[in-house]
Amino acid sequence: MERSKILQGQFGEEFFLLGNVAVTRGALESGINVYTYYPGTPSSEVGETFTELFKDAGLNWVESSVNEKVAIEVAGAAYSRGAKAMVGMKNVGLNVASDAFFALATTRPKNENSAMVVLVADDPQQYSSAVEMDSRYYLKLLKVPALEPSNPQECLEYTKLAFEISRELKIPVIIRLVTMVAHARSNVKVGKLVPPKLNENFDLSPEVNVASRLYFLDLKQDQIYNRMNRALSKSENSSLNKIEYKNVSNEFDLGIITSGVSYTYVLEALESLNIKAPVLKLGFINPLPERKIVTFLKQFKQVFVVEENDAYIETEVLAIAQKNGVQTKIHGKDPFSYSKESSALNFVGELNPTKVALALTKITNLTPITNLRQINGKRYETVRRRPILCPGCPYGTIGYALRKAVKKLKLDFAKEIYFYQDIGCYTLLSFSPYSFANVKYCMGSSIALAQGVAHTDDSLNIAIIGDGTFFHSGIPALINGVYNKAPILVLILDNGWIGMTGQQPHPGSDNRYYQEGSNKKKVDLGRLLQGTGANVSIIKHQKGNDENYLHNLEEILYEKGQSVLEKNDMQVIVIEDECIQKYNQRNTLEVRYVDEELCTNCGLCYNQFYCPALTKKNDIAHINSNECLGCGICEYLCPNDAILGGNNNE
Amino acid sequence: MNSNNYTIVITGLGGQGLIRFLQILGNSLMQKGYKVITSEKHGLSQRGGKVICFLRFGEKIAAPIPIIGSADMIISTEKASILDVLEFAKPDRSSKLIVATYQKETRTREYPLEEDLSIVLNENSDNVYTVPVMPIVDKFKNIKMINTIILGYIARFLPLTEEDLLASINQHFKGPILDLNRKALLEGIALN
Repeated sequence: MERSKILQGQFGEEFFLLGNVAVTRGALESGINVYTYYPGTPSSEVGETFTELFKDAGLNWVESSVNEKVAIEVAGAAYSRGAKAMVGMKNVGLNVASDAFFALATTRPKNENSAMVVLVADDPQQYSSAVEMDSRYYLKLLKVPALEPSNPQECLEYTKLAFEISRELKIPVIIRLVTMVAHARSNVKVGKLVPPKLNENFDLSPEVNVASRLYFLDLKQDQIYNRMNRALSKSENSSLNKIEYKNVSNEFDLGIITSGVSYTYVLEALESLNIKAPVLKLGFINPLPERKIVTFLKQFKQVFVVEENDAYIETEVLAIAQKNGVQTKIHGKDPFSYSKESSALNFVGELNPTKVALALTKITNLTPITNLRQINGKRYETVRRRPILCPGCPYGTIGYALRKAVKKLKLDFAKEIYFYQDIGCYTLLSFSPYSFANVKYCMGSSIALAQGVAHTDDSLNIAIIGDGTFFHSGIPALINGVYNKAPILVLILDNGWIGMTGQQPHPGSDNRYYQEGSNKKKVDLGRLLQGTGANVSIIKHQKGNDENYLHNLEEILYEKGQSVLEKNDMQVIVIEDECIQKYNQRNTLEVRYVDEELCTNCGLCYNQFYCPALTKKNDIAHINSNECLGCGICEYLCPNDAILGGNNNE
Repeated sequence: MNSNNYTIVITGLGGQGLIRFLQILGNSLMQKGYKVITSEKHGLSQRGGKVICFLRFGEKIAAPIPIIGSADMIISTEKASILDVLEFAKPDRSSKLIVATYQKETRTREYPLEEDLSIVLNENSDNVYTVPVMPIVDKFKNIKMINTIILGYIARFLPLTEEDLLASINQHFKGPILDLNRKALLEGIALN
């Protein structure tokens, strides 16, 4: 809804927009030609919006790429040939893209229109990430300019500015978001849309585009001493780096340096302590404005640096202070001490106004208007809720069957069994009640992790990976396994979509069932696997009506596990069962109910098959008809045929 | 900044439609000329985990997260979920606590007793409002209507009319589900 309407917004009109959608609008007001991305929370909505608007907005190309590295390469070359290109990813996606990014950062397109913006969304508190990673140190490694907005309006404005800077300097510009900006919604005044245009004639001269010693030592000189130098003067003169509340003062001779959403927390925290302080708000976060920072530091006895996660700005401020002989005491995370005692803020976890206020009380010895410490100490016993798989999720069925197969294998072979997990909905099988996880790293790592133990131990090592993640970065590890004859069992859980982030398509998705699918070709996962020479078995679930599925699944899991244990071979099982949320958008499945006459309350369904719709009620199994999505598995499972489909005439 | 803003904390379970709730409420307030900001704290919430959302409106854009002890209104669309966010209640007990009667049990934990919950709520506020959503939900046979009923209910405390909210709802839904939401909103407004 809000996505489609952003194309209609006229200059000066106000919309209630998500930070990510405001970024999209900012790019559309910059005449963007190309957007590529790999979905990842909290960055996905930018790509989804572009995908939806692709044709209507007249963009030259939009794609959800197979992974972030490919995404940045597609956008990067488009930038070289004269496009205004943008690529989007979450923080850890930048690791995947970084190899290509180093070359891209140094290239210097010769085409007038060329501009490149890289959107990176960090996830402090790792709400939906495997690690809590601050992407900002990449700014120093890559040597590219970066902007950090603090709210949705700034998302729009900073994106436009990023395109302008990149176009002028011919260097990619990073827009760094955090969850509380990307996923905030607020009033956003829009500007004027700029229709994309792209010249047919362009210059792809090797000397500015070919990463090699022949050209790149010179180009790197230019990158640092010309382009970044000019970026520095922009940063020094930019209104994005400005002192707010310039004329206020406090008895502590304290000033504050902050950036992004932390700025809003600072204002709130100051108010809660009833003090005023000048605040240097940094929106242009690389290169940092040395002169501006020195001038600011010199005005105070002490300065408090407030930022999410790493002490990126603080470390720079400390260095700038030392270089310029400034004696101001700098508070923050005390990055050289690795000690909580000496620091006002913690490296780990997401900031909020309360944490900033408490840090300020530590620095000033002030008491807040409301007793924050007392409130903070007050906690109630709450109802804990673990994230769970959806009712009817194919992975719940696999979890059930795998549990049974593994139990039998352990009994028959007296061998240890270890599990290697990957990134997707099936990660939830890592935790209770399934506990199928011994080692897990990042996207695509499960298959290689299994090999590390399998080559050094006679246990059974099982990698669990989804189809989207397999395409993203699992393929090299699988080939490595085939090549090295790794005695592992690989389970590819093929639900057809990138389920976790909102059922986006990937190369293996059925292209009849997504909007832009008519322009895509489905990559056949089975044939791809067979091409590697792996031993591949495929089992498919006909949803809602496949009595033998559960039995067959258990059997194949056992058999292939047995094969790995006995023959030391590598086995791959593809389990095809579509994400039920996506499936139910096209089909209607019968909600199940329990026949109270037939149910003997054996408990098999509600005790062993962990469907959220299945519970015990009045000493009998009960299916919540509001929740059941009709996968039919419990019907196959019930030994008394007491679970039925169709209307329950209670 | 804080003092000029009205802060609402909303909690419930993933899948209940809280994000939509924020969009509808935020949009109506923006139409009335307020600066509004909303945010969400959630992990794998679409998988039944807890969601905590914030909506703040006033003359200026506020921080997306309020300071603890500062909420004007705390809404829980699932009864016991309110226990997660009571740190936002004002120490002077003036925050309005709006609690829907919907109760979602878990497999592993005992659900808090009604009496215990009521003691805790009264400890934290002199303005506890229990909203009997379940009879209406049963009538419409749609659990997702809880949010819309609550939206209708809280309108009495906010600078919004029935027309304002209906206008925003019209923009967010289509077809039979729009009709259902309009009805649920009116039921919420009509509640005592």
